[in-house]
Amino acid sequence: MVFAGHKLTTALDTSVTIRRKTRRVPAFSYGAVAPALLIVFLVAGLPLLYSLYLSFNTTNPITKRWVFVGLGNYAKLLDNAEFWGALGRTAYFAVISVAGTTILGTIIALVLNERFPGRGLLRSAVLVPWAMAPVAIGVLWSFVFAGSFGLLNGLLNDLGLSFLTAAWLGDGFRALNLVALTHVWNQAPLTALMILSGLQSMPGNLHKAAILDGAGPIRRFFSITLPWLKSSYLFIAIIATINALMTFDILLIMTRGGPGTATTVLSWLGYLQSFSFLRFGEGAAILYVLTLASLALAIIYFFIFRQRRSAEHMMDGATPSEMAWHAKRAQRNAMVTLPAYRPHSLLPARVTRVLAPALFALVAIVIFLWSVLPVLALILMSLSPAADLIRTPATVIPTTLTFDNFISVLAAEGHTTSAQAKRVPLSLMNSFIVGAIVSVINVALGTLAGYAFARHAKERFFAGSLWALMLTRMIPGLTLVLPFFITFKTLGLLDTRMALVISYSSFLLPLSAWMMKATFESVPISLDRAALVDGCSRFAMLIKVLLPVVRPGVIAAAIFCFLVSWNEFLFALILTSTPKAQTIPVVISGFLNQAQFYEYGPLFAASVLSIIPPVVVAFFFQRYLVQGALSGAVKG
Amino acid sequence: MASITLSGIGKSYGKVDILKQLDLSIADGEFISFLGPSGCGKSTLLYCISGLEDINTGTIAFDGQDMTELSPRERNIALVFQDYALYPHMAVRDNIAFPLRQQKVTPDLIRRQVDWAAETLGLEALLDRLPNELSGGQRQRVAVGRAIVRNPAALLMDEPLSNLDASLRVRMRSEIRRLQRELKMTVIFVTHDQEEALVLSDRIAVMKDGVIQQVASPMTVYKEPANQFVASFIGSPQMNFLPSALAGRNDNGGTIIGIRPHDLSPAAAGRADGISLTGELAFVESAGPIHFLEVMVGDHMVKGACADPSGLTPGAQLTLTADPRSACFFDAQSGNRIKPQ
Repeated sequence: MVFAGHKLTTALDTSVTIRRKTRRVPAFSYGAVAPALLIVFLVAGLPLLYSLYLSFNTTNPITKRWVFVGLGNYAKLLDNAEFWGALGRTAYFAVISVAGTTILGTIIALVLNERFPGRGLLRSAVLVPWAMAPVAIGVLWSFVFAGSFGLLNGLLNDLGLSFLTAAWLGDGFRALNLVALTHVWNQAPLTALMILSGLQSMPGNLHKAAILDGAGPIRRFFSITLPWLKSSYLFIAIIATINALMTFDILLIMTRGGPGTATTVLSWLGYLQSFSFLRFGEGAAILYVLTLASLALAIIYFFIFRQRRSAEHMMDGATPSEMAWHAKRAQRNAMVTLPAYRPHSLLPARVTRVLAPALFALVAIVIFLWSVLPVLALILMSLSPAADLIRTPATVIPTTLTFDNFISVLAAEGHTTSAQAKRVPLSLMNSFIVGAIVSVINVALGTLAGYAFARHAKERFFAGSLWALMLTRMIPGLTLVLPFFITFKTLGLLDTRMALVISYSSFLLPLSAWMMKATFESVPISLDRAALVDGCSRFAMLIKVLLPVVRPGVIAAAIFCFLVSWNEFLFALILTSTPKAQTIPVVISGFLNQAQFYEYGPLFAASVLSIIPPVVVAFFFQRYLVQGALSGAVKG
Repeated sequence: MASITLSGIGKSYGKVDILKQLDLSIADGEFISFLGPSGCGKSTLLYCISGLEDINTGTIAFDGQDMTELSPRERNIALVFQDYALYPHMAVRDNIAFPLRQQKVTPDLIRRQVDWAAETLGLEALLDRLPNELSGGQRQRVAVGRAIVRNPAALLMDEPLSNLDASLRVRMRSEIRRLQRELKMTVIFVTHDQEEALVLSDRIAVMKDGVIQQVASPMTVYKEPANQFVASFIGSPQMNFLPSALAGRNDNGGTIIGIRPHDLSPAAAGRADGISLTGELAFVESAGPIHFLEVMVGDHMVKGACADPSGLTPGAQLTLTADPRSACFFDAQSGNRIKPQ
């Protein structure tokens, strides 16, 4: 026995040394990441460089001549009061958004971290505002705040508080704050998810220990929970800032930069310059300022993340000094006599035992209503007769419920339906087709790349390219859409679904690679080795052995890619113009551009149709959504 | 320090009863262990005493004062967790001072008390380190320091040694015992390791399925187990359980005889007084100073022990004998020990 054991150890030793000598990355792994890296370079790297080049030029809209002006566009920005105003508003918007999402997200996360009946339902409900398309959010909230027919004013009228009604988005500063509030409504769930994952990684005994040490709930929050979340908060703040800088969709729907320039932030200014005034160079310069700000934040993020990784070291085993202590038997000081401890709670235990759950239930209900009530209002409005929505004075109580609005957008008949409403069925199909194709392509390539990234995360090449992928996710879409527009125009790809598939890959491919990397990291490498020893080729190992194991991760990535694609608005808005390729968010926004009166009924019906996939995912595939949110957090 | 009286403690999660009508009195300054297999409710009982878990029935009193309705902080209990639960962002000094700060003790007293605890536990050089810069044994001592620093009514320990490696565990074991004697603390020590319980405790409460099987001094639990479960759980290797007929007793199969392997040794040639068991020697297991012999008696594998296995060959017939006074008898129906007349 002893002899055999000895032999075994020697055999292991030799195998270790052999492995060390020959340990290099198999060509298969380079092959696995090559397609993803190449595509990301083509659809994100090159456009980014092109955009930089554009920002050094100016175009004459009439002669269409390009003139190289170097840093001229940037220099002009410095003298431009509009730019400085927009910069200030961007900063204000970012501060309000980050503070709002962080505070609200923390409260939501603290509630969801507790065990209570209905937690699953609340978690699903909370996710809805984040999962639904920003365009639908913009439609919903602009109607909430609308002046004559608005939901908020209607509610105030119904409650007999008519004197409080106002044209909410009419006042400049108030409009900026309300857009920020809408952004917070949309983004707080993401922050909550990230904080929740931090809370759940906290050892449960920490709080128990603190309770026994005599710390009350508030003291524990500040002494235990907050310090534990400190590093998470830094990332959350950075990600929330980037998301706030990139805010565009809800601005376009709600205020279009107005009234006046009250809500003109940098992203809107860049959009205006590029696509309304067709001053591509100047627009690119503004958007590049935005990009640089995001990249600066991303680099800070990168360095903090690095540091945290390297700080995770541990020591174990007895140290020499510890040995010495065990041997030592010296005289010791006497214990201090402590003053008698008379702990007393503010309220008797019986009272807190009733009061605490009641307070908790109240907070949970408020969070539920905050998340769900606006969505329910949207559904209610889509079921209201068109005439109800333009009553004055406004009221929220519908005269009757009807499916007319849905019928008019889904089964368009004759002249009763407007041209815009007729586009809805086709656009739903476009959204679906584009979503399905990008999901399949990006998850396939992302799985290949994710495997190699997970297995060789320490190799210089893979670590470097992984961070490059990560950085591409911090580029504002606005910066890429201008180069895409110009390139696709040249190639004749404008207004095709192909254009959307290509451009969506610029952010979905890094996202799915990142998600799949996290998935593969949870699979022990011994499974790879077992498959190889059992005679699989590396490709067969991946397909036959690993793929079945990571299937939940693949599904999560696919669902997440589909959802992001389904909700995407900016690229679709710029790159498509006819029903041939328009997706549902573009058609919804199109309702708002019609010359005639707003077709509220069909608009709301289309919006409700657009939020069906996100809501279904939030309620039935929540696990996948959460997984996507946490690994793809950057792409809010 | 305080005495602790538990009466009629019942605790259930939903329909599952975790603790069933538990009664136990723990004296001031006593070191008592809760010993049992995982899932027997020993940790739950500890959390109930600390107030972290509510109980469904019964009362908990410290020094005769009813504590059942009080919150954990009002009970002034200290608990050392299995994973130590050190506050990761606080230096050792702040970890130890934390409970004192909650009690609003003056900074000067806190400093002196922390110094005392650090000196008592040999942590002087580590006071400014963060928990993740400490070894397992050091973390364990910080956890103990945080627990003793505020003169708690009782010190509860939830498997505090199970995360340490074997040699350190033995050293920490004697340190804990020394500290308890020095400070005259009431300690409740939860463990599934019978050796720890035997070495450390004044009394051991052996638990199974939420019921205390026996509360007695370590040697009593070892020598006079209350029932077959206690007999099987304490002692290693496990006690042999045989139908008494095998040992030459005729009582219609109503009793089971239990003999510890250490009490069964090969009979000298020709002598067979006391209990004797004969069978084929199947295997000799050498454990350093002692050798265990597995003998097939009838269809029972019986384990005995000897100091010198030379001359014993597997396959040969062997007779093991034991002093009848070392054997225990159990009722085959109830499993309870039958006290010798």
